[in-house]
Amino acid sequence: MDKQYFLDTFNVTEPGLEELTASALAHGGAWADLYFENTLYGDLLLKDGQVTSGGLHTDFGVGIRVLSGEKTGYAYSENTAPQDMKEAAAAASLIASGSSGGREPGGRTAVSAKAADCSLLYPESRAWSLAQASGLVPFLEKLQERILFLDSRAIKIIARISYSHSDIMMFNSYGELTCDSRPMGSVTASVIFSNGTRSENKTVSRSFRCGEELLTEDLLEEMASEAVRDIDARFEARRPKGGKMPVVMGAGASGILLHEAMGHAFEADFNRKGQSIFADKMGRRVCDASINIVDDGTIAGNRGACSYDDEGVPGQKTYMVKDGILNSYLHDRISAGWYGVSPTGNGRRESFRYNPIPRMRATYMENGPALPSDIIASVKKGIYVDEFSNGQVKIGEGDFTFYVKSGYLIENGKLTAPVKDINIIGNGPQALSDIVCVGNDLKIDNGTWTCGKEQSVPVSCGIPTVLVKNLTVGGE
Amino acid sequence: MTMDNTQKKECKALSGLISPEEIEAARFCISYGISSGASMMRVSLSKSVLDSFSMLNGEMDKVAHSADRSLFLYIFADGRYGTFSTNDFSRSKLSLFISKALDTVRMLAPDPCRKLPDAGRKAKDAATGTELHLYDPEYQELTPERRLKKAMDSSIFKTLAPVQEYTVISEECEYSDSVDDNIVIDSEGFFGRHTETSFAICSEVTIQDAGGRKLSGYWWDSAPYFSRLDISGCSKAALGKAIEKIGPKRHSGGSFRMVVDRSVSSRLISPVISALNGAAIQQKNSFLEGTLGEKVFSGNLTLLDLARTDGKPGARIFDTEGVATKDCPVIENGRVNMYFINTYIAGKTGMQPTVEGVSRPVIRPFILDGGTTGSDRGCLSEEFEINLPDILRLCGSGIYVTGFNGGNCNPVTGDFSYGIEGFAFKNGKITHPIREMVVTGNMVRLWNDVIAAGTDARECTRWQIPTLAFDKADFSA
Repeated sequence: MDKQYFLDTFNVTEPGLEELTASALAHGGAWADLYFENTLYGDLLLKDGQVTSGGLHTDFGVGIRVLSGEKTGYAYSENTAPQDMKEAAAAASLIASGSSGGREPGGRTAVSAKAADCSLLYPESRAWSLAQASGLVPFLEKLQERILFLDSRAIKIIARISYSHSDIMMFNSYGELTCDSRPMGSVTASVIFSNGTRSENKTVSRSFRCGEELLTEDLLEEMASEAVRDIDARFEARRPKGGKMPVVMGAGASGILLHEAMGHAFEADFNRKGQSIFADKMGRRVCDASINIVDDGTIAGNRGACSYDDEGVPGQKTYMVKDGILNSYLHDRISAGWYGVSPTGNGRRESFRYNPIPRMRATYMENGPALPSDIIASVKKGIYVDEFSNGQVKIGEGDFTFYVKSGYLIENGKLTAPVKDINIIGNGPQALSDIVCVGNDLKIDNGTWTCGKEQSVPVSCGIPTVLVKNLTVGGE
Repeated sequence: MTMDNTQKKECKALSGLISPEEIEAARFCISYGISSGASMMRVSLSKSVLDSFSMLNGEMDKVAHSADRSLFLYIFADGRYGTFSTNDFSRSKLSLFISKALDTVRMLAPDPCRKLPDAGRKAKDAATGTELHLYDPEYQELTPERRLKKAMDSSIFKTLAPVQEYTVISEECEYSDSVDDNIVIDSEGFFGRHTETSFAICSEVTIQDAGGRKLSGYWWDSAPYFSRLDISGCSKAALGKAIEKIGPKRHSGGSFRMVVDRSVSSRLISPVISALNGAAIQQKNSFLEGTLGEKVFSGNLTLLDLARTDGKPGARIFDTEGVATKDCPVIENGRVNMYFINTYIAGKTGMQPTVEGVSRPVIRPFILDGGTTGSDRGCLSEEFEINLPDILRLCGSGIYVTGFNGGNCNPVTGDFSYGIEGFAFKNGKITHPIREMVVTGNMVRLWNDVIAAGTDARECTRWQIPTLAFDKADFSA
């Protein structure tokens, strides 16, 4: 990283940064950090057959945080004029007024991970900052054409390209200066199909930390094919009879259940406060020994990839569950300091307007030994789910509910009637311990997943085909 | 905590109100844009300040101060349209930004439906921003000490004595206040301003019952005026809601009467309001497409948009286009009275434009005698109070929903399925908490089965949706 480029972008100097962190600690506190951000967002929207709207948006500022033990003071400035930054530092420093410094946050010496080269982690051969609308419009038009060619029942198509590039610079009171350049490109297509008497909708998306080279013919074909896949089944799908039954999670997007129902409960802030259902289970068995659950910031190009997190800690691959044992929470510097462990690179934030908190990156379950076809064949009567949406979990109780967009009945080991518009409800730890079979077909879903815990951050998820022996399916 | 003079001065300067210089920056955008080739422009200038003081277990945990401002530009050029935003107000940067924005607009396809609203539809009575009395001048007098005191006074953690039935794991409570100032101007001379303050308290309490199960309760209150914010009882209410959940039982599935608490009842009207949105109608993504003027719901259902209610949250004089709002029925006696049609959708569909969206939806209270549907007999007037006990008594037995957990409503069909939490009730009395249940159905059928809407909508909410009761709903467990 060209340090001077970032210092110039934010019109600051290293001595100036040291002075600013010192002023943030003027009233006490153990730690101060600065998070500079310069982001360009762009989007183009195809609707009613044409790309008739689009936009550009810029965001620039610096967030200043003061920690006094686990207590946080936070403020930001939308410019980097010295006086404005000092005023923000003064506001953040209120947290430390009249208190001693408190425990230092984790990460000064304990970080053993090394940051990935961001040019490898976020490949960007064609920078979004140079993108022109005229170069992007044809992709959306071709995507529309291809969907219409594949299924003439498509009556409305909304397609969108959105992209961003963020230059991030972080500095802390340990004197560590960290820089990161983060691209993101996303394509979404929402299609409404009509068979003359009924309408059904389907949305497909792809999102990667990469540049304009994302927009290939292969991507176009992949998205168009997925948009029209199984539409006949959607028209036929009905709500099944509800009740307790085995549920097979299809590989890929079903991983959102892992994110919501288990991943959040592994975030260390909930555990530090004693609120998570996993708060007192570290080192204990939580599921079958064949299961490993990972949160990974090191997958090249992945939407959840982090060369550094938003506290300047290198991105890492963290085993939350290893061989069925609860192995690690997901830490920011505050919780790492509190637990006396190394931060795991999960301190993330939406923008300079927010203080970082423990957040997931790419969350998935590693492969097991079973063939997916064998898993389905083992179920006499149950549900196979291949698309969830609108999941929600109660962190304390562990109870979750997920809306099933599409799936199939399993009868005598075979997928039969398509189902839709049902909920699956259960309890996170119980569901985890009820996983009886894990497939060998792990798939990371590269949709535009965004996690909304207090703030919005990009994530991804994945799972191999998995059999949960008993969940409640809410149907007719 | 004390403040030195410098900090006091800084606090005083952060009023959150748009300055004359910032208005000039917005005007500059329009003049520069038009002189550079834009045919029409609208600029929305927003400024806001938010302060929050959070407590964890009776100790201060987090202090946050946020001050934002942004320019949002709607640019119409050569029959084309784009939207752009920036938080950099310097003239040199704005010039470059607008030039680049115009280049982008010119690369898009033309769309003749993109234009500013007709002058006659725009509001003419929003000159100061304070016409609706949603701005509290006392906001400017607040100090960090007063804010901190509010947060500390709201915490009850240190006053709680141990009890046998449960242990309090944590109490998180937060006091916050904000000022939001928004000015909309356009190249045809429109000027509208909306300024409001908000003061809020919220609390979440987590307990562990004797069986080791963790249960959480949440409560909040807010007001546009500092003096009207009642912090007493917020944490106590949150704790009460956690305690209520102790000892849940599994309940059998089936078709039952459903009562939905006022704190979550907006979840059920939200899909209906979304389905009335012009963009959803135009994109055939609405189960209410083609129903304008038709009776679709129970004749007892009347949903009003009281956008002009003085001093109440949600009220506004103009929408994002600058179009004047008015008090009007959205659904009247079950009949769909209006769609939310902005200028663009009006052009696309040929429908008459209305406003861009709902402001302050209000459901007219009613209760059916004996709880029977299909008859207006016994429908009480708004002069009577209709509260939760009245409604539970009316319904006799069923499921009382106090929270939704996940789920979805299909916008095209109106079919829904939501996870719920709440209680079983019998003979008008709550019997026990329930868990792991879902309710499924169809929005049109559900709102044909509505048998009561209370008078107890919470003052603090923008959407005035009271306790509701439905004759039957399908539950699975």
